[in-house]
Amino acid sequence: MKNFGIAPPGWFHHPGGAIPKFFEPASEMIELQDIHTHIGQYHILEGVSFHAPRGQITALLGRNGAGKTTTLKSIMGITPPGRGKVVYDGHEIQGLRSFDIASMGIGFVPEHRAIFRDLSVEENLKIAERKKGDFARKEAMIFELFPDLKRLIHLPGTNLSGGQQQMLAIARALVPDNRLLLIDEPSEGLAPVIIEQLMNAIRTLSAETTVLLVEQNFLVASRLAEFYVIIEEGQSVRAGEMADLAGDEATIGRYLGAG
Amino acid sequence: MDRLLQNFRRNRTLLITLAVFAVFFLLAIRGMPAEEWVITLLRSLAVGSITFLVASGFSLIFGLMDVLNLAHGTLFMIGAYIGWTVFVRPDTFVDVATPAGLIGMGIALAPLWAYAFGSATLHLPRSRFVPWLGLAAAAAALWWGLARYPITSWDPAVYAESPITYAFAAGQGTLSLPEPELFTSSPYLVLAALAFGSLAAGAALGAFSAGRSAGGGAGASGTRRLPHGALIAAGLLLALALGTFFFHGTLTAALFGLNSTALFILAILVAVGVGFGLGALVESALIRPLYARPIYQILMTLGVSAIGIELVRGIWGRPEFTMPKPAIFDGTGEGCPAVSLADLFAHQCSTIELLGSRVRTYNEIFVPLLGLIVLVAIWLLLRRSRLGMVIRAGVQDSEMVEALGINVRRVFTLVFALGVGLAALGGVVAGPSMGLSLGMGERLLINALIALAIGGLTSFPGAAAGSLLVGLIQQFIIKYGQIGITIPFVDYVFKPTPPLVPASTVLLMVIVLLLMPNGLFGRRD
Repeated sequence: MKNFGIAPPGWFHHPGGAIPKFFEPASEMIELQDIHTHIGQYHILEGVSFHAPRGQITALLGRNGAGKTTTLKSIMGITPPGRGKVVYDGHEIQGLRSFDIASMGIGFVPEHRAIFRDLSVEENLKIAERKKGDFARKEAMIFELFPDLKRLIHLPGTNLSGGQQQMLAIARALVPDNRLLLIDEPSEGLAPVIIEQLMNAIRTLSAETTVLLVEQNFLVASRLAEFYVIIEEGQSVRAGEMADLAGDEATIGRYLGAG
Repeated sequence: MDRLLQNFRRNRTLLITLAVFAVFFLLAIRGMPAEEWVITLLRSLAVGSITFLVASGFSLIFGLMDVLNLAHGTLFMIGAYIGWTVFVRPDTFVDVATPAGLIGMGIALAPLWAYAFGSATLHLPRSRFVPWLGLAAAAAALWWGLARYPITSWDPAVYAESPITYAFAAGQGTLSLPEPELFTSSPYLVLAALAFGSLAAGAALGAFSAGRSAGGGAGASGTRRLPHGALIAAGLLLALALGTFFFHGTLTAALFGLNSTALFILAILVAVGVGFGLGALVESALIRPLYARPIYQILMTLGVSAIGIELVRGIWGRPEFTMPKPAIFDGTGEGCPAVSLADLFAHQCSTIELLGSRVRTYNEIFVPLLGLIVLVAIWLLLRRSRLGMVIRAGVQDSEMVEALGINVRRVFTLVFALGVGLAALGGVVAGPSMGLSLGMGERLLINALIALAIGGLTSFPGAAAGSLLVGLIQQFIIKYGQIGITIPFVDYVFKPTPPLVPASTVLLMVIVLLLMPNGLFGRRD
């Protein structure tokens, strides 16, 4: 296993150094307890609870408009929850400003990528630095995951294709030492070859960091994630191991459409 | 060939703009003698440069935080009046510095109090009543102290002691300042009252903002950082207050003994500094609570503008007055007008011979040059610094910038302060060439808004190009008003009347917006 500079789970809060995996508390990376979120006058989330284990990929599934994206934004503090708790690595983070939440080690890859058009690829990566030199340390790792970006490094963000933008958005979240990545719809609108490439990248980086993934494409989600949470009309209705869900045609049909 | 075409497409706007400029100049130079043309061009650059100082700040603020700061013109005007005060009445400046520094210190400490109240270690009564009590105590102490603090100043109601007279006397070099006012009660008691009042005010403000942020979410156990910037600012302001208090006489004498060039530089520094502080204060106290309600924000800036104008009217009085030029740009007598740059510096001439015409060094050389310097400085800041990178990213998507772990609100405050600082710089620099009046801010804001509409509201090159175009149109229309345009094939000389000057810029705006709805450099969003 290569060390990509993202410290493996379990190293934190143990100043003594690495603790063998079996001593590690089986705590969750992030846990949501009955989150309610309003956007304007709309009650978007009406009780979302789940937890995502450390070092694994958890997929949020559900139909369009079910509240998956809002769940991620509620964790990030972009649409702060009005009620409920968000416990990240043992700390309650609901009500904090989103830059504080990000600084605690959460990377956000939003829907539609949100690449800064006026910034070059390099600047798009450098702006994510939390300590000076973050990018220099991670450069090799990032270019190994996404070799395309190396050749585009001086291009402005506006000139990238959809797939390149998605790679850049994920790479941007890898620049600082994040322990949790929230990735929203990485496969949306991309060609199958590129999706395959992205899936490989996400799988590789999930070896070192916890991933919470929103994915409309069930095939992609089921191949990537170890765990799933289904959100339906603003509520978390089901959760479990992806392996169990894959065979459960009834559940897939009911909550995710034709599947 | 393909690449050429591609390049052309990418830079279409730039090329079209350049082509329009070229045609415009060719037409203009045919209609008037070369020296007239040069001087009109330089005047256009001067107007464009002042407009740019206001427009660039306005556009940075609007681009980054979507705030239409309608108070920008008023803040420009306040910059001019503060610059005038430092320049013409340094004694008043020294007098005011102590209480202003103390009050500034108290307010600058507000984030520190908020930090202290917000942290779990300090348990104070969490009543909503207490901060109001603090504010009332602060107001009482400040009222008592300020009423007893002697400030030597002018009296707008008495002509012989009005700003007009002082400005005129300073311009003639015959300025004699009135006897300094003296303390009627114990100076230290007054100082203590002011210090107490400002500290209490800062604490109350801090308590309010701590209450606001604690009300938002439940247990906020995040990473709170000590606001170092506030501490540094408060320390500097305290040093200013105590320095001007204890070395009052020496400082006044020293400032009055300075030559007017040094005093002018000091005036610029003070005005920019005050503008910066005022901007930070307006943003953090008035604009920030209203980010969720943009319409209220616009009303708020309009209100700040109205209050600012009335404050200036109350302090400096109604009539317009002038600001003398600094000595380096005011020389006459032997060797003037200068014929070379060396001459210019040797004799500090107010005019210089350039291509057969007599050009005023301050209005037509210094002001455009300063505009150019600021243009390059901001461009470097935007392109080469991390702050600039954050600003450019924030213009597009400030939510995402914050989600990367960057404290966007602090950047907002900084950019607002920077924009107001630029406006204040424009105000001081415009003082000697335009004169001071209560309407100067609004006039310039309208120019700046038209310039931005032409150039593209949130585009920095757009702000520069738009300001330049506004300057050109206005000055050439004024010039043609004097010499007339010969209409071809008809025996008629058309002389644009003065009302056509503002109308022409609006007309240009309409034409540009019809052809390019987002302005020359604007982006479709």
